[in-house]
Amino acid sequence: MAEPSAVVAQLIFGIVRGILLGCVFALIAHGLNLIWGIAKVVNVAHGEFIMLGAYGAYFLNLFLGLNPLVSAPIDAALGLAVGLGFYFGFLHRELRGKEAITLQSEMVTLVATFGLSLFIANAANVLFSGNFVGIPWNAGSVELGILQIPLGGIYVAILSVAIIALTQIFLNRTYLGIGIRAYSQDIPATQLMGINPTVVAAIGTGLGFGVTMAGGAFLTVLFPTGIYPYMGALYAPISFVIVVLGGPGKMWGSLVGGITLGIIIDVGQIFLGPSIAYAVAFLTLIPVLLFRPEGILR
Amino acid sequence: MTMVLSVAEVRKDFGGVHALRGVSLSVAEGRIVGLIGPNGSGKTTLLNVIAGVEKPTAGTVTLDGRRIDRLPAHRVVELGIAKTHQIPKPFLGLTTRDNVGVAVLYGSRQDRDVARAFDEANWVLRLVGLERHAETLAANLTVQDRKRLELARVIATGSRILLLDEVFAGLSPDELREAMGLFTRLQKEIGFGALVVEHVMRAVLTLSDRVIVIDEGRKIAEGPPQQVVRQPAVIEAYLGREAARAAT
Amino acid sequence: MKLPAIPKLGPTVWGIAAFLVVGAVAAPWIPIYPLTILIGLLVFAALAYSMNFITGLTGYVSFGQVVFMGTGAYAWGYVVGTFRWHPIGGVLVGAAVGALLALGLGAVTLRFRGVYFAIATLVMPLAAVDIILVTPALGGGQGIILNLGFEPLSWFYTIWVILAIEIGLTYWVTHGRIGYGLRAIKGDEDAAKTLGIDAARLKLFVFCFSGLFTGAAGAVNAWTLSGVFPNDAFALLFSLQMLAMVVIGGMGTLLGPLLGAVVVYIPHTYFLTVVVGAEFIVIGILIAIIALVIPEGIVGALRRHIPALRRILE
Ligand SMILES: Nc1ncnc2c1ncn2[C@@H]1O[C@H](COP(=O)(O)OP(=O)(O)O)[C@@H](O)[C@H]1O
Ligand SMILES: [Mg+2]
Repeated sequence: MAEPSAVVAQLIFGIVRGILLGCVFALIAHGLNLIWGIAKVVNVAHGEFIMLGAYGAYFLNLFLGLNPLVSAPIDAALGLAVGLGFYFGFLHRELRGKEAITLQSEMVTLVATFGLSLFIANAANVLFSGNFVGIPWNAGSVELGILQIPLGGIYVAILSVAIIALTQIFLNRTYLGIGIRAYSQDIPATQLMGINPTVVAAIGTGLGFGVTMAGGAFLTVLFPTGIYPYMGALYAPISFVIVVLGGPGKMWGSLVGGITLGIIIDVGQIFLGPSIAYAVAFLTLIPVLLFRPEGILR
Repeated sequence: MTMVLSVAEVRKDFGGVHALRGVSLSVAEGRIVGLIGPNGSGKTTLLNVIAGVEKPTAGTVTLDGRRIDRLPAHRVVELGIAKTHQIPKPFLGLTTRDNVGVAVLYGSRQDRDVARAFDEANWVLRLVGLERHAETLAANLTVQDRKRLELARVIATGSRILLLDEVFAGLSPDELREAMGLFTRLQKEIGFGALVVEHVMRAVLTLSDRVIVIDEGRKIAEGPPQQVVRQPAVIEAYLGREAARAAT
Repeated sequence: MKLPAIPKLGPTVWGIAAFLVVGAVAAPWIPIYPLTILIGLLVFAALAYSMNFITGLTGYVSFGQVVFMGTGAYAWGYVVGTFRWHPIGGVLVGAAVGALLALGLGAVTLRFRGVYFAIATLVMPLAAVDIILVTPALGGGQGIILNLGFEPLSWFYTIWVILAIEIGLTYWVTHGRIGYGLRAIKGDEDAAKTLGIDAARLKLFVFCFSGLFTGAAGAVNAWTLSGVFPNDAFALLFSLQMLAMVVIGGMGTLLGPLLGAVVVYIPHTYFLTVVVGAEFIVIGILIAIIALVIPEGIVGALRRHIPALRRILE
């Protein structure tokens, strides 16, 4: 008698946790997706910027006692600046004056950002030491029937969705946002609209980095002791899979992909163990690429 | 035996867009068929379907009675049909000669000997007048030379039927005259057949034995060049309804 | 009229051959420590050439290349540990398994272009290690620990043979008809298809070579460690080092991977004694700069800027 109900309770718990996790995953993937969708660059160093966001939250907590929710906007502002620097220092040279991003350019940026990821992760390893660190912040939890849900997880999930919604409003409702969307679809047309493509691409990239680093801060709430220099090696592939699942350039796709992956991982962990859960999560990429290359959203 | 390419009732949809709504035509080796029509009428799509780049939604493409519409593009080339790209697609990092050499090595000749293939490539380069640029990287060619390179490559594949997508577009009157002269010479020397797509009528009317006009994915006229251009439906497709009424 | 150079053995080939022959003759007299460094260098060179097959020749960036290394190592560890095979037999099995896996994975992933291929391959080693962790027959999280003893000369000659065959194959592929087909695919795959190139088959062909030699090198690497450990065997860092070697040396060239192996491996051994991972700070920046400024790598840049070297380097 108790057996099936325990399974159901576990399943519900897995789904709820998966949704919370998935919303934050969605946010970090959203950062990748913004850069991918707008500047047409797949940032292989994405995971390293998540890591920097997490360390940002860690140091702000260590030195100023800030909690990760407060650190996130500071991270985001930092990310915006870093993103602008990244665009001008890195991408501009390759993308400048191009009317469309060729496969060749794509490979160049892929390899270049991969070099950057090696650099950042290992520099962080030397600077921050290779130990796992965490932020001692606990927002308590709520009881929902038999379930105990950590409040911190609820906060970051809600904030993640809110940030995704805000970027959507920015892209759809503001002049600059519409310019950015035009750039992402047709670069020459952007120029005809009187918009400077360089400015638009740079802002789009900065936006992506801001979102990514804020996401890094939120992750520290879900994984309280999971901050270390090579953490990007896990979250970057997760972000890649989510963006492909949701469809590159489809911003709500990140949310759908993120929640899908969060549920696969969390429910999978309960019933199949963590290893197989992650293996399944990674391999969902293949059927999606084969049968729904535009992503699971229409 | 001369090769005959036939297209029967070919339709092609891209999602909701009906690019081709049932087109039929045939091209024989040694004959030049012109294919004209306004922008967006489906000319490039038709060439892609024949070349195996796109699969037709319905209808058949046959070569000497044998279905080729389910074959991948490279198999179609092996059978002797090759297509140029409306926007040239040279291998930018290779020299002009290497671009042509690749076509010899992999086209319908299936000659695996690299040295011999490059002799052949040199011959084709001389035919089309690109020998001066043999060692030039394709990335450094002008747009006009890139178009020539497109032509050189399809000839180098040894194909018996060429599908030419707007190779005469964007030329000045002088260049156009020269290019048409070149085409006529090549055709005499090699004897290929061709389906020549043009947006501009002049080249097609002069070069073709027969002309087909398509509009919105449908064939609206077919016949000898001078006869076809006088048909009201053709004038209408090109110049609009008013002009058609005025002409009759 | 100038005919294109008919493939004949140029200075690069002689240089590489001399390097290999001198190494083979001198090996028994090389002191242990430099010999182990040389073995490591040859393993890295073998990995670099195998990355060159796919990424250098076709332009498909394989972030997941280490999956072949890891499976090669596990295949080796399994037959040597469970069936008591001779380690060299294990290396052959590792190579075969690597090639078969490449055939299977390539048939699916090579349909994806550009970044999609990179991502699809990236997840393979991640999934593989997760699966191995829960596979008791392969030692689970423990890995496979063998007590094979220290045999540097056997390691040396095994990896030497693998590398020599691999370089020979690279020469054969790059200097023949297939090389032109691959360069065309790298330049513009759609255009290549419309000129009669069976791109799918050609890509799969070189990907199998790539898997074969990566598997073999992974097996030799496991032999030198006398064991296989899940997180090390599938460490993405190997993929990244392979890519680094090819990018730095010169994608698709004959000499590039060897140069890249020297540039990446030698600092690696040096820095190991300083701070683990510190060399990647330098290598990372180097790759980024090379990709953006001289995407053709050292060999390509030398050829472009020093005409005298054009006939020598390949
Ligand atoms: N890959 C595609 N996806 C969607 N629509 C396409 C595609 N290719 C062509 N079309 C559409 O099919 C129609 C015919 O295009 P096309 O064959 O290029 O015309 P033409 O060459 O005569 O100018 C156009 O409406 C075009 O927008
Ligand atoms: Mg067209």
